[in-house]
Amino acid sequence: MRRLALVGIFTLGIAFILSAQYQDRFKITWIEPGSGATLPEFDAFDSNEGTLGVLNASGPVNTEGHPFFTALGTNGRACVNCHQPTYGMSVSTTGLVERWRDTDGKDPVFAAFDGSNCPSLPQDQEKSHSLLLKRGLFRIPLPWPPKNADGSPKPVEFTIEVVRDPTGCNTSAQYGLKSADPTISVYRRPRPAANLKYVISGGQPIVLKTGMLADVDPETGNPVGMNLMSDAREPSLQTQALSAIMGHEEARVAPSREKIEKIVQFESQVYVAQQAHIFGGPLAVAGGPPGLGVAALRDHRAGVLGDNDYDPVFGVFTTWKDNDYYRSSVARGADIFMFRQFWLRDAAHINSIGLGNPLKRTCATCHNAQMTGQDLSAGWVDVGTTNYPTWTEPSTWAESSELPVFKITCSRDADPHPYLGRVVYTTDPGRALISGRCADVGSIVMQQLRGLAARAPYFANGSAKTLREVVDFYDRRFDMKLTDQEKEDLINFLGAL
Amino acid sequence: MRVVLPACCFGFLLVATAALGQQRNFVSCPIVRDTKTVPCFLAEYEGETYYLGIQQDITSDFHPPQLKHEVLVEGRIAEGPRVCGGIPLRPVSISVLKEVNLACNTLLPAEPGIDAPAAPRGPGPSSHRSEGGVDSSKAAREPLTGRQEFTVLYAFNDDYLEYAGNQVVTKAAAYAKGIGASNVKVSGYRATSILSNGDHLVEKAGLAEKRAQNIATLLRGLGISHLMVEWSNDAEPGDGQTDPSRRRVTIVVTP
Repeated sequence: MRRLALVGIFTLGIAFILSAQYQDRFKITWIEPGSGATLPEFDAFDSNEGTLGVLNASGPVNTEGHPFFTALGTNGRACVNCHQPTYGMSVSTTGLVERWRDTDGKDPVFAAFDGSNCPSLPQDQEKSHSLLLKRGLFRIPLPWPPKNADGSPKPVEFTIEVVRDPTGCNTSAQYGLKSADPTISVYRRPRPAANLKYVISGGQPIVLKTGMLADVDPETGNPVGMNLMSDAREPSLQTQALSAIMGHEEARVAPSREKIEKIVQFESQVYVAQQAHIFGGPLAVAGGPPGLGVAALRDHRAGVLGDNDYDPVFGVFTTWKDNDYYRSSVARGADIFMFRQFWLRDAAHINSIGLGNPLKRTCATCHNAQMTGQDLSAGWVDVGTTNYPTWTEPSTWAESSELPVFKITCSRDADPHPYLGRVVYTTDPGRALISGRCADVGSIVMQQLRGLAARAPYFANGSAKTLREVVDFYDRRFDMKLTDQEKEDLINFLGAL
Repeated sequence: MRVVLPACCFGFLLVATAALGQQRNFVSCPIVRDTKTVPCFLAEYEGETYYLGIQQDITSDFHPPQLKHEVLVEGRIAEGPRVCGGIPLRPVSISVLKEVNLACNTLLPAEPGIDAPAAPRGPGPSSHRSEGGVDSSKAAREPLTGRQEFTVLYAFNDDYLEYAGNQVVTKAAAYAKGIGASNVKVSGYRATSILSNGDHLVEKAGLAEKRAQNIATLLRGLGISHLMVEWSNDAEPGDGQTDPSRRRVTIVVTP
């Protein structure tokens, strides 16, 4: 009996230790506005693949009263609602579903304005927030026609019709295209508010892809890289912060310049990257690939082209070749990313800018900026995720997608879409909703590839639930003929970033 | 058979020699020929295959055609053997026609014995370290002085500013600012291309104005405030030899 009791105590002890580890491993990490927490200089969060590292390069951040962590508008939201450190300074569907469950849908992240499929829907019902909960998509209402900075309408090259409207927002008399304030609602993922020195680098006076002037920072007058937003509609971190507060936070009064600057200061010093793999262990190790981990992001120079074999996009992975299974796989994945050739075909703003169609190249041709894998020039590309027939939605009408479908008809005197012609069906016209240009329909600014494992789903439309689905899309879209091993290697590589 | 083959080749050489220097202007679908390295771009006209160029980088002078589009080829038959199976045209101007044509979809596989010329860049990442944009040519070393004319060239019926044009505009703006130019005049033109079959292709109305206004907008954005902008409504006539050189905008900078 005494022996049995000892065994019982021992077992309980082990269970307690494991429980403590488990709780630490799955600590509650959703930051609420106004929580007053202090963020450490370095923090680590569990992601699907292991551990995400978050580095505040300026040291610990006191969030008490900090405008990034304080609701500045009328719906209770702060920047942090959609840019959570836990989820790579973005937000994942896993986190959103948990948040819905924990708050019975009352968290301000589910605000009617853009955290639901349409504000006109009953907000207490989960299905009214299905695009956010299933795909991590926020509603982005954009004026049509687009407007210049002075509010005047921009000239446009196409007409737009709503041909399918599962959310009801685009045909709504109050919120839709034919409302008093004509608006197109598209649905997009929030981009990570981290590693931003890379994201905003690369401004050139003339945009290579269009031959037109780049947008300029309204404060400095300097040309900007136009890689910040998925449609490049905001030129600077300052204008983005202001727009997000007036829009996503539904502020009625513009925040002070001091608050905007404090938000920008915070965003500019935070770095996220995968820090450890669940089986492979720490990623940022002495003698290992120099581009992995958050410290590398902090220390590296921004605005460097990596589409070369002497100083590649994410550094060299040589020391991990012929290493253990995981590391060897990551190293092979890095090689595939840099060197595996395939036919890049029918991608507007890649094939159409003088490189030829098709183009025999590699992933790094487009994902060429060191450390993030964005495009160093203004990076909007129609890779095919939003436009029929290559879009990521179910390919038959019998299957359902909750995204709207628009019919774009280009005027006769405009340049058509280079590979789809003058009539394009799309779930998101992308850059074209800002530029008004037919050739831009479906073009989305490519996003950074860091901290991916923490912030599924992927693509601007949240259509890829896993990195496997991302790789499968590219394999299908460009007929890459990747083997199962190559796919696994690419997934391991992307997951290590 | 061994006797017939050289005779056949000899016959071809005679034809090629006779055609040397002749202009070939035509519209057709491009053909892409894969090779062990970069793809070659070809086009057929009157039963003959012409070599246009190879895949390069955006900074190159040759911008390849595109499948899904017809291409206007304006080139001169050059000396030398066939390249990638086609008679080489040099110089050659390539204009991708804007409308989509799904019939233009020929991608030929690599074949033994058909090799692309040596390429400055292969199909993978670049191996050439950047020179930092420093042009060490004699022309670049000698500073410009006095009145200067800069010319931006365009593909047929197009107002897209390619990389080379981007460089020209940047250089013109830098020069105008550097000398404090008293006058900068931008003149836009549209032109006519005469095909080898005698057809005349005329660029669309309004294109000269659009080209000129686009360049003026760029120059203003680059800090040039006093501009004179003009354009010709009439299309410049063609001669079937130098037509690509008339699809242009000129920037005249006067001290």
